[in-house]
Amino acid sequence: MTKNGEVMNVNMLTVQDLRKSFGQFEAVKGVSFSVEKGESFGLLGPNGAGKSTTINMITGLYPPTAGTIQVKDIDVIKNAKQAQKWIGVVPQEIALYQEMSARENLKFWGRMYNLSGKALEKSIDEVLEIIGLTDRSKDKVETFSGGMKRRVNIGAAILHRPDMLIMDEPTVGIDPQSRNHILETVKRLNSEGMTIIYTSHYMEEVEYLCERIGIIDHGELIASGTLKELRETIGDRSRINLTLDSNATDTGKITAALEGLFLEKDLQLQDYLLTAFHKEPQSVLSEIIQRVTKTGARVSSVDIVEPNLESIFLHLTGRSLRD
Amino acid sequence: MRKTWTILTLHLKKFFKSPGAIVLMFVMPALFSYIFGGMTVKSQETKPLVNVVVGQGEFSTEVYKLLKKNNQYNWKKATLQQAKNNVFEQDAIAAIVIPDDLGQRITEQKPLFDVVIQRKTEQYYALNPYIQGAAGLILRSYHTAALSEPAAFPKLLEAVTVNKGIEIEKQMIQKEQNDKADINLMFVGFAIMFMMFGLSGAASTILDERIGGTWGRLMISPATRIQVILGYILSYFLVGWIQLGVLMMAMSLMFDIGWGNLAYLIPFASLVILMVVGFGLMIAGLVKTKQQASAISAVLIVSTCMLGGLYWPIEIMPDFMQTIALGVPQSWAMGGFKEIVSGSLRMVTIWKDAGALIGFSLVFFFLGLRGIKFE
Repeated sequence: MTKNGEVMNVNMLTVQDLRKSFGQFEAVKGVSFSVEKGESFGLLGPNGAGKSTTINMITGLYPPTAGTIQVKDIDVIKNAKQAQKWIGVVPQEIALYQEMSARENLKFWGRMYNLSGKALEKSIDEVLEIIGLTDRSKDKVETFSGGMKRRVNIGAAILHRPDMLIMDEPTVGIDPQSRNHILETVKRLNSEGMTIIYTSHYMEEVEYLCERIGIIDHGELIASGTLKELRETIGDRSRINLTLDSNATDTGKITAALEGLFLEKDLQLQDYLLTAFHKEPQSVLSEIIQRVTKTGARVSSVDIVEPNLESIFLHLTGRSLRD
Repeated sequence: MRKTWTILTLHLKKFFKSPGAIVLMFVMPALFSYIFGGMTVKSQETKPLVNVVVGQGEFSTEVYKLLKKNNQYNWKKATLQQAKNNVFEQDAIAAIVIPDDLGQRITEQKPLFDVVIQRKTEQYYALNPYIQGAAGLILRSYHTAALSEPAAFPKLLEAVTVNKGIEIEKQMIQKEQNDKADINLMFVGFAIMFMMFGLSGAASTILDERIGGTWGRLMISPATRIQVILGYILSYFLVGWIQLGVLMMAMSLMFDIGWGNLAYLIPFASLVILMVVGFGLMIAGLVKTKQQASAISAVLIVSTCMLGGLYWPIEIMPDFMQTIALGVPQSWAMGGFKEIVSGSLRMVTIWKDAGALIGFSLVFFFLGLRGIKFE
């Protein structure tokens, strides 16, 4: 609240009815969400869901076909260069000059964000410390491991201390040690007040880092909220996975046999994998196996998964995130 | 401007860290120029020797000077005996004896020179018309002088020798004469060709950067598109100038050749480099991959360089080819360089060449900038 009692706009990012078409193909279909200052927001979705297109519109790289984007109070569509000063972007690719050293890369990108002189040098030293590459700063990027390159990629985005850091799959293809380092770095930046928008394939990363999560599929934001709120969409139920043998060809017969145990929307059978959601999986497990066996199919393995983001995603989209 | 400068310096650094680019832009043209230039310079140094036995007569020295006007031969004074020996040994293609009594021979209508040869070789047949022409010129001068004042002949002959030679009409209209202009043009030709290869390759790195992500990252930085593209263009322009400058200096040191008036050369060379940068940018804008860029630029560069007179003088090509050559920028570039390096400096030609280069550059830049994707 201001002194006059007006409500302050604390949103760092506001996206309204965002659309993007490439020819006849509509990649993003009216996505709306907002991210508050200091918040960490995760954007989840499988390949081709529209995550990167959405991110590219927010950063000002793609002009949207329709909709509005505001960073702070700046209209990104009308004044992208102004907004870009406040944003740090970690692209999915290693967007660095491989033949230059880490320090040279950081110096270059720092200058692109209006840093110079002692302030730039100081910032580079700090960032090298944060990403843990002080001792390798003079080495060429092309000599680095995938994880180290990813860390420099992040370093180049935080040199100018942006108010909002957008990270597009920053941990793709790296070793667990580097991943942990990156996650800790992001957590630390967020705790220092930096707004984070994080897209990833890895549910556990999003669960670990993000206060709120948006699930995007086929260009639409199909759910958003805190992890707790999302869990409620599946009624806080565990997921039961039953792997069936090759006799389980009549899917209709099997689902009919399980009638009464689950709602139709909570039951999926695809490629010999039966997935069902239930609050007390242990209580219905033996009943499920009995009924399935009566149809002539045999259960070769059973797995019960506690309610998590993966289950939520599967429940909402009908497919696994890595499909 | 600072961001443009940052992009410019980054690309210069990148360029000079790339051994492939150094080889293409400096080593190859230097090597080509050294080999072909060396051959040409050597062929200039090994012109056929013609010995001249200069008599004691009052006109002999002027006649010797007149003969020397033809720089296709290596004219050297010798005694009659030395000359005969050289001809016998086939070191000299002929020996011209300028007699002491030249004036008397003219009045008695005897042959002016005694020519010693071993046999009538092709080289002698090529030399003979020149000697006949020189003799004719001397005779006409003598008779012209005799009509007015016989004593005027030596002065007239001196004037003819100083001001007018035989078969050098073209050089008469030049303000400064550079005998090695053809060699210089060959160096310039090689430099332009390799510059086109080098800079079109460099410009197509924009494609690599798009795939690698650095181009996109630049686009979402606070740097404007104009700042970014200006940084790229200026870096290529500077690389082009560094290449041309280094090659010119190297060739000057190696072969002791000049490049004409720098006040004309520098702006004109800048236009040529700008055209080459535009060409590279156009290639980068028209293709989708670096492989396509390499293939298309190789075909375009080699064919247009042939047509544009970079490998051989455009004058030796058939008329219709010379007309087609007007459609390639290299022919205009070479035309302008020829005027400047040879010292002719015909401003109408230079302006026309410069105008054509500006036109080509505008078209190339338009196509290039329209084709480059900034998203």
